[in-house]
Amino acid sequence: MQTGPEIRHSLCRMCDDRCGIDVHLEDGRIVDILGNKEHPWNRGRLCVKARAAVDMIYHPDRVLTPLKRTADGWEQIPLDQALDEIAGRLADVRDRYGARSIGVWKGEAIGFGQQETVARRFAHALGSPNYLSNDSMCYVGRYMGFTLVDGAWPIPDLENARCIVLWGANPPYAHPNMTQYITAARRKGATLVVVDPRMSAIARRADIHAQVRPGTDGALAWGLVRQFVEMDAYDKDFVEDHTIGFAKVVDYARTFTPEMVEAETGLPAATVKAMARMMADAAPRMAAYVGNGLEHHENGVGNIRAIAMIDGLLGALDREGGTLFKEPAPLRDLTLYDEMPLRHLSPLGTDRFPVLYDMRQECHTMTAMEAILSDEPYPLRALVMTGANPASTNPNSPKVLEALRSLDLLVVRDLFMTETTAVADYVLPAASFLERTELHAHAKHQIVSLTDKVVSWSDVQGEYDFWHDLAVRLGIGEYFPWEDETALNRWLLEPTGLSLETLEAHREGVEYSPPRVGRRRQAGFDTPSGKVEFASAYLKDLGYDELPVYHRPAYRREPDAARPFVLMTGARKLLYLHSRFRNIPRFRTAIPGPEVEMHPDDAAALGVADGDTIRLTSPIGAVDLPVKVVAENEILPGNLQVTHGWREANVNLVTHDDRFDPVSGFPLMKSIEVSVQKV
Amino acid sequence: MRIVAVDPDACVACRDCEYACAFRQSGDFARSASHIRVNFYADERACVPLTCMHCEDAWCLAVCPAAAIDRDPGTGAVTIDATRCAGCKMCLLACPYGNIHFNAETGVSAKCDLCGGDPMCVRACISGALRYVDAEELADLRREVVDASLKRLLRLSKGVR
Amino acid sequence: MHVVIVGNGAAALSALESFRGHDRDSRVTLVSGEQGPAYSRVLLPYYLRRRLSRDGLFIRRADDYARLGAATEFGVRAEGVDPARRVLELADGRRLGFDRLLIATGSSPMRPPIPGLDGAGVHTLWTLDDAVRLDSVFREGARLVVLGSGFVALQAAWAARQRGLQVSVIELLDQILPRVLDPAAAQILSERLHACDVEVRTGTRAESVETDRGGRVRVSTSGGDRLPADAVIVATGARPNDQLLPECLEPDRPGIPVADTMETVVSGVYAAGDVTRGPTARGGPREIHALWPTAVEQGRVAGANLAGAGRSYGGSLSMNVTEMFDLTVASLGQFVEDEGDDVFEEHDRGGIRYMKIVTRAGVPLGAIAMGAPEGAVLLGRLRPFVRHRRALPDLPAFLAREDLDGRLAHRSAAKERTSCASLQ
Ligand SMILES: Cc1cc2nc3c(=O)[nH]c(=O)nc-3n(C[C@H](O)[C@H](O)[C@H](O)COP(=O)(O)OP(=O)(O)OC[C@H]3O[C@@H](n4cnc5c(N)ncnc54)[C@H](O)[C@@H]3O)c2cc1C
Ligand code: SF4
Repeated sequence: MQTGPEIRHSLCRMCDDRCGIDVHLEDGRIVDILGNKEHPWNRGRLCVKARAAVDMIYHPDRVLTPLKRTADGWEQIPLDQALDEIAGRLADVRDRYGARSIGVWKGEAIGFGQQETVARRFAHALGSPNYLSNDSMCYVGRYMGFTLVDGAWPIPDLENARCIVLWGANPPYAHPNMTQYITAARRKGATLVVVDPRMSAIARRADIHAQVRPGTDGALAWGLVRQFVEMDAYDKDFVEDHTIGFAKVVDYARTFTPEMVEAETGLPAATVKAMARMMADAAPRMAAYVGNGLEHHENGVGNIRAIAMIDGLLGALDREGGTLFKEPAPLRDLTLYDEMPLRHLSPLGTDRFPVLYDMRQECHTMTAMEAILSDEPYPLRALVMTGANPASTNPNSPKVLEALRSLDLLVVRDLFMTETTAVADYVLPAASFLERTELHAHAKHQIVSLTDKVVSWSDVQGEYDFWHDLAVRLGIGEYFPWEDETALNRWLLEPTGLSLETLEAHREGVEYSPPRVGRRRQAGFDTPSGKVEFASAYLKDLGYDELPVYHRPAYRREPDAARPFVLMTGARKLLYLHSRFRNIPRFRTAIPGPEVEMHPDDAAALGVADGDTIRLTSPIGAVDLPVKVVAENEILPGNLQVTHGWREANVNLVTHDDRFDPVSGFPLMKSIEVSVQKV
Repeated sequence: MRIVAVDPDACVACRDCEYACAFRQSGDFARSASHIRVNFYADERACVPLTCMHCEDAWCLAVCPAAAIDRDPGTGAVTIDATRCAGCKMCLLACPYGNIHFNAETGVSAKCDLCGGDPMCVRACISGALRYVDAEELADLRREVVDASLKRLLRLSKGVR
Repeated sequence: MHVVIVGNGAAALSALESFRGHDRDSRVTLVSGEQGPAYSRVLLPYYLRRRLSRDGLFIRRADDYARLGAATEFGVRAEGVDPARRVLELADGRRLGFDRLLIATGSSPMRPPIPGLDGAGVHTLWTLDDAVRLDSVFREGARLVVLGSGFVALQAAWAARQRGLQVSVIELLDQILPRVLDPAAAQILSERLHACDVEVRTGTRAESVETDRGGRVRVSTSGGDRLPADAVIVATGARPNDQLLPECLEPDRPGIPVADTMETVVSGVYAAGDVTRGPTARGGPREIHALWPTAVEQGRVAGANLAGAGRSYGGSLSMNVTEMFDLTVASLGQFVEDEGDDVFEEHDRGGIRYMKIVTRAGVPLGAIAMGAPEGAVLLGRLRPFVRHRRALPDLPAFLAREDLDGRLAHRSAAKERTSCASLQ
């Protein structure tokens, strides 16, 4: 194609942040990707992951034709044949075991936007309640914690805050351009507190780095609550008008003296007090953000709820410089939950984790493995996945593989062959974010935008085309009446009053409604009571703690003498996202491989140095990794950290798929007791 | 002219800038190929980005015995003409900030050239610590940083009173 | 005002540019004994190594002088100065009046008192003409004897080896690069020379050189050997071209002494570059620092003061970097310790084979680094401390800071060559 140089505006989906990008093309081929200076989120700046999308898209290992497993290995087959065969085998499973024996699973690997709802719709149309996703291990724990308290997960108004508190979050690596907003606030004099057992990148800039023991954040939160009460520093009007359960909170907080908090978290009592004063002084312009670091614990939701209470106590909710409630984009809903409730069909995991389904209409992927292997409570025999790699990213990988292998049918759509495709029956090429047409909503700015197909390959289908084609073959085509992605997008967009053409002319996004601060204070919060719920009757009814009671992590409650180290997993690295991008050579140059971060004292005691291999063993399994001795203040003695997603050293060989947060069902992945041997 | 202003008070040493620069120089992410360099000192939690300041009175330029270093008329950048550079390394010794690097592969010195007026390090800086600004604005930026630090100190001292 | 600059090298050019920064209008004439626009002496070995073409040696174009508003008299030597009349006497008999004068005549290779050095097979490496002549002598397989083992000598030797000559180096003292490297550094370099098949004879005096009718040469040494060769390069040092104005010299001391302003004792007459004995950064008696950067610095000050800017020179700090036999050798200030100095020494840090820093009371005085080019960068970082006599109490910490993440090791390990890669 001789089209010369061209620039197309789009959004980056190398992570979840959707930074505005300018895609530079040369005769139809992408040559570079730079930040779109017009985009309100990133303002021209981009992390280097985005630029490497070029490497990803044209990677020689891309799966670009459908593959079928045969006795002799993978066979390339035409797309139509693949869809016919898959539909046929799905129909068999449906006939034999019923529709609910078929599940759909979305992952992160292609950077889903609104298109996950297409997969949900498919499952519903088919009559299966079994929608699974990576969200049940990332994000939903926080969504729940905040939603239970505030009725939604509000967005911190970082740039207008006078004090920013990050709990277990490291924006420079996890949400890179969020860092700009922190800088903007700090340039106006805002203070920064980072609560993290590790000195993360952002902790390097913190005025207070609260280096708490993993999983003890709740104790700190309650300690702060107690301080605010003691100091008489809480917002009495807000508490009076907009919250329920305050008296119980005061009562429960009493024991969380700074000294008790010090004993539990390891943070000096004086720091607890200083932190409380700093936050109170800034209130209500105190903006807190909770990261993934708090979710993977047995007390995750409780800790997050306790932290969420602070926003209410300090009157920072629904206030400029505090946290803001954004209006969701008024797009049409593709899912069919209202039309066809499927709860009665017992979505997997609902019995044990009802809140997960109530709030997210998601199944529990961890116990789903058990269900697959045992056919209890009923058989799940076929899975169709897009961009998911649970064999690497779910806890207890060997069990995941065993379960997936035992399926009658596993179809994986992805960009590359993965640990999970290794046990698939069919592998279909998936469309990367520059190979499909999609609508996006950016809640922070309340904008919708449209991204377009920039490159195309003959056998690579976008989400809509795939599910549509499959649905037609399975006789449920009436649920997918739109001719193509564009027609679907037009339909979705209708209620906004915006046209696709408008979005095409404004790739940086168009505001769907102006931000309104204070609306929840007027109209009430989206909780059952309409108030900010420090105490939750809903949870109480389900048999959970009414208050976000602090439960000590197991390693503190009843330490296992045989496993004296506490392993955290999953800290984000700048260049990798879960199990993605390990095949991009230039990333490997920069970060060549896995390592276990270790305190120098521990290294000395074990007699190991950088590069030595050690074995970590948990009740689930063992993994060997090279040691990286970090600086004294970068990790606490006795703690270890390993980032997941490495094929050559998969830390999910030791993570728990048998110990969960009771509310969210999140697995224990960030305070795992392990033993360490030099090998 | 515009230069890359660095604000250590905003830097988190993520090294996006280094990778972006290395990529432009070499097509790969070896940090050693980068002309901007971020040092992180864990003890002090200090992050220090260092990159050429395109000094008004550039010593490297004056000293180059091959007259290979010159000022780009468009951007004002102090640039090395690789075709003229003999690889004598005088400039490495001349730069008091260590901002000139030697490319052993090609045998010539190399340094920041402001990417012809759109520095990739700045485009990759997600904290905003790097800004491509008019040299005259530098004093204002510095004042802004100092003011903010003072304000924070005040808040901190309240925090610990 | 008419300003006359004698010379067309580092000092003269830097002075001309600096002068024009202060004075756009005055008349300037630049006189040089050599032809054409300026070339760079420093680059001559690179030309012999075929790293640069002859064109690549030129650092100014003819129109650069016009752009700077300087009339040029190329190819005309200045013979003398009449300070009373303020006239410069040229070799062609012309007399050039001046208001202010800069002497930037550089230096010339020294000819030691060895019989036979005027023979046809004996060369120096100092001027473009020298280099062009040597280029035709550098034939593969030819034999070369280099007298002296200073930087110029060894660069010539390296170039010759790279061109496939057989090379012997004769040094009177018992280490190579005497006064220029300390024994440890000299040892590393000697080993490298050895590995590159350069014959090194230290503690050896060349007694005489004979050139036969066929142009072949024999060098007789104090050891009693007679070394046959196709050519000899004499590189035993340089002396300043300071005879233009004997009035400003001190008896029996080479080099024109200058004040901090670069002015000589004759008012309105300045000197800069190799020809001067000037103030040094560390104070004490004036010294000749016959180095390119010093010439540039001095030229700048002199140029400004020719325009009446009243600039004062902070004194020269010797800094040198050369690549020889694939080893980067960088040095700075005083790197040989005196009584009472402290020495910090390190071996094999990343690609840096040897590094030594001399300090006194915590203040770095000088340093030397051999091996990877990064050594020069490190020395560059040290330079402000040496120059401004700033204390650096925790040297190891400073170095660790400069090389936090092993960037040095990372970069150089891959690149360090253990043998004579450039010869293969
Ligand atoms: C082979 C070689 C390699 C070198 N390598 C290095 C190095 O790596 N690093 C380093 O720092 N230094 C090096 N030097 C030394 C460096 O070149 C000198 O220190 C520097 O050139 C001095 O500059 P200058 O202007 O004082 O003199 P020069 O550059 O020598 O210029 C003197 C000028 O004066 C002219 N001139 C002389 N006498 C008269 C006269 N009577 N009338 C008219 N014109 C006259 C000459 O033609 C010439 O143009 C090297 C020198 C040589 C020869
Ligand atoms: S932060 Fe980086 S990976 Fe994430 S969307 Fe922005 S540029 Fe892409």
